[in-house]
Amino acid sequence: MCISARSLARFLAPGIVSAAAAVTLVAQQPAGTDAVTILKNNCQPCHSESLKSSGLSVATREAMLQGGNRGAALRPSDAPGSLVVQAMEQTGGLKMPPGRKLADEQIAAVRNWVAAGAVWPKDAAVSSAAPSGKRKGADWWAFQPVARVEPPAVKQTAWVRNPVDNFILARLEKEKLTPSGEAAKETLLRRVSLDLTGLLPSPKEVREFVADTRPDAYERVVDRLLASPNYGERWGRHWLDVARYADSDGYTIDAPRQMWKYRDWVINALNRDMPFDQFTIEQLAGDLLPNPTTDQLIATGFHRNTPSNFEGGIDFEQYRVEAVVDRVSTTGGAFLGLTVGCARCHDHKFDPISQKEFYQLFAFFNNVDEVASEAERYDFNRPILEVPTAEEIARKKAFNAQWSALSKELILYVRELAAKPRQAGDADPSKDPELMERVQNLRELRKREPKYTTTLVMKELPKPRESYIHLGGDFTRKGITVQPGVPEVLPPLQGEGKTRLDFAKWLVDGRNPLTARVTVNRIWQEYFGKGLVESENDFGAQGNPPTHPELLDYLAGEFVRQKWSQKAIHRLIVTSAAYRQSSKERPELEEVDPYNKLLARQNRLRLEAEIIRDSALSASGLLTDKVGGPSVYPPIPDGAMSVTQVAGAWPTATGPDRYRRGVYTFFRRSAAFPGLMVFDAPDANASCTRRVRSNTPLQALATLNDEAFTEFAEGLAARVIKEAPEDTAARIRYAYLLAMGRAPRPDEEQRLGKFLARQMEEYKSNPSHALELIYKGGKFSPEGVPVNPPPAKLAAMLPKDLPLEAAWTGAARVLFNLDDFLTRD
Amino acid sequence: MTNEDLLLQFETRRHFFSRCGVGLGKLALLSLLNDGKSFAAPATGAAANPLQAKPGHFPAKAKNVIYLFMAGAPSQFELYDFKPTLQKYHNQTVPEELMAGKRFAFMDTFAKEKPKLLGTARKFAQHGQSGAWFSELVPHIAGIADDITFLKGVSTENFNHGPAKCFSNTGSTRFGRPSMGSWITYGIGSESNDLPGFVVLQSGPRGPRGGAALWSGGFLPSAYQGVPFRSGGDPILDLSRPKGISADTQAETIQTIRDLNLSQLTESGDPEIATRVASYEMAYRMQTSGPELIDFGKETKETLEMYGAEPGKASYANNCLLARRLVERGVRFVQLYHTDWDHHADLGQPLEQVTREIDQPTAALIKDLKQRGLLENTLVVWSGEFGRTPMGEVRDSGKAGRNHHIDAFTLWMAGGGVKPGMTLGGTDDLGFSPTGDKMEVHDLHATMLHLLGLDHTKLTYKFQGRNFRLTDVAGQVIQKLFV
Repeated sequence: MCISARSLARFLAPGIVSAAAAVTLVAQQPAGTDAVTILKNNCQPCHSESLKSSGLSVATREAMLQGGNRGAALRPSDAPGSLVVQAMEQTGGLKMPPGRKLADEQIAAVRNWVAAGAVWPKDAAVSSAAPSGKRKGADWWAFQPVARVEPPAVKQTAWVRNPVDNFILARLEKEKLTPSGEAAKETLLRRVSLDLTGLLPSPKEVREFVADTRPDAYERVVDRLLASPNYGERWGRHWLDVARYADSDGYTIDAPRQMWKYRDWVINALNRDMPFDQFTIEQLAGDLLPNPTTDQLIATGFHRNTPSNFEGGIDFEQYRVEAVVDRVSTTGGAFLGLTVGCARCHDHKFDPISQKEFYQLFAFFNNVDEVASEAERYDFNRPILEVPTAEEIARKKAFNAQWSALSKELILYVRELAAKPRQAGDADPSKDPELMERVQNLRELRKREPKYTTTLVMKELPKPRESYIHLGGDFTRKGITVQPGVPEVLPPLQGEGKTRLDFAKWLVDGRNPLTARVTVNRIWQEYFGKGLVESENDFGAQGNPPTHPELLDYLAGEFVRQKWSQKAIHRLIVTSAAYRQSSKERPELEEVDPYNKLLARQNRLRLEAEIIRDSALSASGLLTDKVGGPSVYPPIPDGAMSVTQVAGAWPTATGPDRYRRGVYTFFRRSAAFPGLMVFDAPDANASCTRRVRSNTPLQALATLNDEAFTEFAEGLAARVIKEAPEDTAARIRYAYLLAMGRAPRPDEEQRLGKFLARQMEEYKSNPSHALELIYKGGKFSPEGVPVNPPPAKLAAMLPKDLPLEAAWTGAARVLFNLDDFLTRD
Repeated sequence: MTNEDLLLQFETRRHFFSRCGVGLGKLALLSLLNDGKSFAAPATGAAANPLQAKPGHFPAKAKNVIYLFMAGAPSQFELYDFKPTLQKYHNQTVPEELMAGKRFAFMDTFAKEKPKLLGTARKFAQHGQSGAWFSELVPHIAGIADDITFLKGVSTENFNHGPAKCFSNTGSTRFGRPSMGSWITYGIGSESNDLPGFVVLQSGPRGPRGGAALWSGGFLPSAYQGVPFRSGGDPILDLSRPKGISADTQAETIQTIRDLNLSQLTESGDPEIATRVASYEMAYRMQTSGPELIDFGKETKETLEMYGAEPGKASYANNCLLARRLVERGVRFVQLYHTDWDHHADLGQPLEQVTREIDQPTAALIKDLKQRGLLENTLVVWSGEFGRTPMGEVRDSGKAGRNHHIDAFTLWMAGGGVKPGMTLGGTDDLGFSPTGDKMEVHDLHATMLHLLGLDHTKLTYKFQGRNFRLTDVAGQVIQKLFV
């Protein structure tokens, strides 16, 4: 408890001791004790050396002179000009302490002290919150170096397949729980195929795997899947969520933008198993590498996926700043697993990240060259890179040849005209009809000039922009200037430490305790539905602690030891016994571990939006298995593109592009593809590190009634009729094999058989229904059948197999709507 | 055991796990420790129907909301905020001190020419017991003067359409946060079992700027995102059966799916399958209730005429009638967007046209809700994303429009526990700044939630380590509004 000299004097004054004595008593206090004590009691809870809220410490005179985000807090001898006085008087924008006002005499004491030169008492113990040399919160688990851990010993050694299992089993044994047995071979194959490639196993693959009795049969499958180009499409999509990739600008106008080269870069990088450190450096700072390749420039599109506002009348600087803030927040969530975005307006409330540190990170990303001209107008479509395909180059070459030939001819013709002798009364040679035609031809040709594919990239301004703290997160309120830097609780930057490249290298230099943990945790999350740290983008104090901290560190360490190979981590996880467990619910576990955090079994997971589409495509055999290229336009329900200001063009694909994987569907932010959005695809307005999995009636309507799904059902029906023996039971078994990767149980076979029998009756007695279903209500017509045949003769005219095809299309619709189809078991 | 028994058993078990928690010892403790979700938040794990109606934090005054969003920002000076002083100083240069520190869209045009004040050319008169002012452009709305309450001098945060619309809907200018309709259905579900809980209707020459972000569920599960109805054909995407699938075949299909899903439920024991069975049943009901909803056949001629609705035509009038039919069926949050209020260049014919489109149907909606006893528990809000400036903007010679103004605009509310016939707040004589009660968009959100029985500080969802709210860290319930 502190009593100030003044209050002591007041207390003493009334008659207890003489006034003179009181004055003597006060005079014995060192000068300034009063004011400094007020600071200590009222300001220091936040503005201590260790907390430095808004960058300010009031612990020493020097610290106050140095000031915080708003500059110096103290100007000795200038009380009205000192921020500390202004804040206490609460006459301006800054009002301190928050939510209350000091007593007038307290403010006066501080004012007088400043006016008198702000002499700091010699041994004023203002440092009550003694700086321990460490920031508060710096001892949080996630900021500690990744520990080198050995897999723990376990009792049931027979269950263990690799070190991952030691960690899982040790914990289960501690809780006196037993893990589940391995899933059925068919289930396992379907699970690992969907998880690694997002496609269903073919009947041949199922049969071969079931028949393969070699001890490493499963590992062989894993290697085959990891080598498949479909792996990059599957895991690339996870990363594209993080990268908030889309094919349009976002915001109000939301015009199309070309970014698909970046999407393909991600897919290719994963397929080549580009080490994650390189993957990180090229995306964050590929442009700053020495002599960057075109691919390294394309990679920097990662941070050009930010939405751009092209609305009229905007303040360009505001939206440029928004994009930079997005880059900082995205980097924080994607690599550091920290909610650094919380420190945009004020110091982070829970984690040791100050507002100043947010703007130090901001400074790394603040130098993109969007300035189009001297007039300081921004163009968010800059910097842009032309990335022509071989075909485009050939077309351009042909165009240039044609252009120069026609230009030459024109010049010759003009000379010819000029050389002609002219007489008064002759037509004006510049109005010569042939000349005009030639000029017009050239103009028309110019309009058809082939364009190169482009992609947005990062490029630094020659001179970095000044970065400053935005007071309250408002860029119009300038605080102090900051230099690029990383949060103090993390290891320091190496090298000059000033560029995006330095920063990118720092993320993956092996000493950063977060990047590897965050990355392996996100991989784990896709295999079990939840990460070892459930709050995958918040490893801070508000996040969930890891369920298996040693396993997290083991995986993170292994990731670095394996030279940042993502495929190595995938292989490690999917070949573990933990991953290979059955997902069947066990009543005894529900009591003790209702959320299955200890993983005594696998989890059933609803498939992601794209994978539902891709599964139906692969089961039906319709899939166009082409990797990469411009985004495509599969059929979309009428009116789906008109829900926003500028209705977008949707040139529905009629050829093979109709059946491309979901990752290639053109993604317009303000009117995103409904078939994806209904199954929880993210809207690409912000980085998404984990999708939610919902279960709604609108999803049921989509798979039941959507044109695309009906088409896939027809495909599956045709395939079953063509490829299976001519016998209903055999066909049902084959259809199950195609859609579920397994044989039906007897009750399933019987129930679907019953449905098929009724459907055969329906389509035999109502052939027009079959015609409508298979031939789209008269849009198409079977060969030899008129478009609107007379009803009485219809049955005789239709192909013999039409009822069968229609009935099987019905059965395929049933299969595509089963929980078992929509779920990864 | 029959399938029904099986389903019942799983439902009960799920209910036990996801809802009750109490008395389950370790489970309850685990649940509290790990998922300490706030009150009124749905429990983890999908409930059988995530949109099931549930009580809020305290008794509600309103059950449903109809939000009439005038996209593009109507001019308060041409409709409701009568400013004789502004007319008096018409065409005079705006005093510098009124412009100081303010930010406007298209700032660069001000640099070229000093803006001038623009008095309205519209005639104003007082209406009803309340004596509120209305311009000649909205004669029908003037007729419901005593049913509505004005909020004047409301302010918002951003002077561009997209971000400001986003702010009006999500409480944030950054795209990607949950919209108010999502928050509300997340908080209290919906009374309708066979229609979505949050429906979006659109009219006007184009869609609203920002599109799907305005009714996004953000980080909430997608069950809470707004469902945009289409103006032609099926109101809901994929509502109709594919061609060649008869009603019987569809019923048979869904029955078969159900039986096979229940077989899988027995096999794996995953309660999520029971949820899927319930989803398919609701989807099946939607296929009947959807077409019934948009069929105006049972509406009387008088009703249709009152709205100016014409069956089968896409219009704001039809959407107003549809809004009434939706809340009648228990749909919690209905939002109408009507576009093209962005009158920068001409407050003449273009404004007359758009006000004509909305005037009669809006008034008809209030009257109709009232005569059916629905107004007392339906909150109706009429608002744009911001207002328009007291200064004029000349883009074409001979005509004048107004720029975007975020410091003081006008909106009105009716029904749902709002005291009718009042005006709260006001603006200075030139309409630049609010005088009296200060009201911001977050306050409107807090008030709306309050009327629905929700405490805006407690309706939270944890995302990225933080409990998010519709009102962020702001929001004051406007107590003066309540009956």
